[in-house]
Amino acid sequence: MTADTKTALALAGLALAFVALRSAFLEQLWGRPAALAPVPLADPAFTNTAPVRTTLADLLAKGADTSDYDCYTCHEAGKAITLRFDTNNAVILPKEHADLRIRHGRNDRNDNCYNCHDPAKLDQLLRRDGGKLKLQDSTPLCAGCHGPTYRDWEIGIHGRVSGYWDRRAGQASRLACVSCHDPHAPFFAPLKPAPGPHLLHPPLLAAGPHPAND
Amino acid sequence: MADPGQRPRFTPVAPDVAAGGALTRRNFLRASAAVAAGVAGVAAILPVLRELKDFTTAQQFLQKHYKELTPEEMERVLERIAREVERQYGVRPHVRDLKPLDGVEFVYALNLTRCVGCRRCVHACVAENNQSRTPELQYIRVLKMPNGTFDLERSDPNYAPASVPEEGFFYMPVQCHQCKNPPCVKVCPVKATWKEDDGIVVIDYDWCIGCRYCEAACPYWARRFNFATPSIPKERINPDMAYLGNRPRPRGVMEKCHFCIQRTRVGRYPACLEVCPTGSRKFGNALDPRSEVGYILRNKRVFVLKEEVGTLPRFFYYFDI
Repeated sequence: MTADTKTALALAGLALAFVALRSAFLEQLWGRPAALAPVPLADPAFTNTAPVRTTLADLLAKGADTSDYDCYTCHEAGKAITLRFDTNNAVILPKEHADLRIRHGRNDRNDNCYNCHDPAKLDQLLRRDGGKLKLQDSTPLCAGCHGPTYRDWEIGIHGRVSGYWDRRAGQASRLACVSCHDPHAPFFAPLKPAPGPHLLHPPLLAAGPHPAND
Repeated sequence: MADPGQRPRFTPVAPDVAAGGALTRRNFLRASAAVAAGVAGVAAILPVLRELKDFTTAQQFLQKHYKELTPEEMERVLERIAREVERQYGVRPHVRDLKPLDGVEFVYALNLTRCVGCRRCVHACVAENNQSRTPELQYIRVLKMPNGTFDLERSDPNYAPASVPEEGFFYMPVQCHQCKNPPCVKVCPVKATWKEDDGIVVIDYDWCIGCRYCEAACPYWARRFNFATPSIPKERINPDMAYLGNRPRPRGVMEKCHFCIQRTRVGRYPACLEVCPTGSRKFGNALDPRSEVGYILRNKRVFVLKEEVGTLPRFFYYFDI
């Protein structure tokens, strides 16, 4: 065998070895990476921009059933209802309205229905200054007591403002107080959180990545 | 009897030169070895080329940096992206190149009294910005902190109670703060990320080489890397895209919050703000004194995270009542 032949054979051998290794690599004959566990998709509830409560104004805008808000299906027009209070001066709710939770004010003391509702006309609200409001336009009633919050709401820093930050390009809209706050129990109700992050390489510690330094 | 002056009857022929290039066994073997090596080389390259077809096209490979593209070249680039997205997801997107608005500097303010830790902002962002679902990428991370401390070592991003907020804790969402003095921009070796005039720190996904220096430099872990090819369900693609924003990214590049550039540069609020149920997120133009964020910056006690590292973030936190 001459030197030339040996060179040619060595080169051919190397080329073949290269092709074999390349095919093994491409076909992933060994060292195949583990398939990623599919992460469950987020529940559409967590990307829904609708406010947490549906108000009478929303129902009226949609043309939906508002019979829940029709007081005179049960009450007699013109007949005044006397509120009853127990020994602690907490209001006693009749069983027809037992689904209400009255938790308004410090120590739930804002439980006199006629602080907000008009006793003469039940589908109307009564302001402190005697002004009357329709049930679906309750925001000025809340403003009558919650002045600083109302001021912040007017500026746009209390509650969500949606739409366009650039008012020249489009409109921005605020929500009514009752879109987030139940008027009888206004403290913002707890929510169910979306699941936490699914890491590519989950932490090895059972206690999590940042155990408390107590 | 042989004539002493006569030439021998046969002439010795040199081993590797045949008269007139005639076919010899040696020549044949040489030629076929060369052809076989050539065929083997092409056979080796073909599967690589087939795999690379989805990785990069010639046009993408030769594309210039975003800042060097002429408007005509940008048109062709946007057309290429629209075509690729349509081929991959079956949806024809509307890809735009949005420039910064004049007289605008974006600022984000977050009311920590109001945030309840529901993580809807995280998922609204994922849906709006076409982020990979498997492996999961999320630009926003909500940290659960115990009341009374700002020691981030005691934060927990993996909380999963039945309902939030939990007693004794507050919740702090963290995303890219679009710093005025961004360390990620300083360390990028190829200038694939830079600060735009309206304050947003953007990434040219076609220029990024995926070295992850920016991820190491960011003090807030705001930057995410695509370790695997992003997988987005076809039905959840958002077709309203921007070149520097939410167009689908390839494997091996960085991405991060860009203040929903496809929304904010046309005047809309970002997706995280639109979904927040408590209204704790506020966004706008800091140069406009009548904006909500202008009021907050003037009247609330705002602070930033990790002030001592000097990044000058545009993301302000505050407590209210």
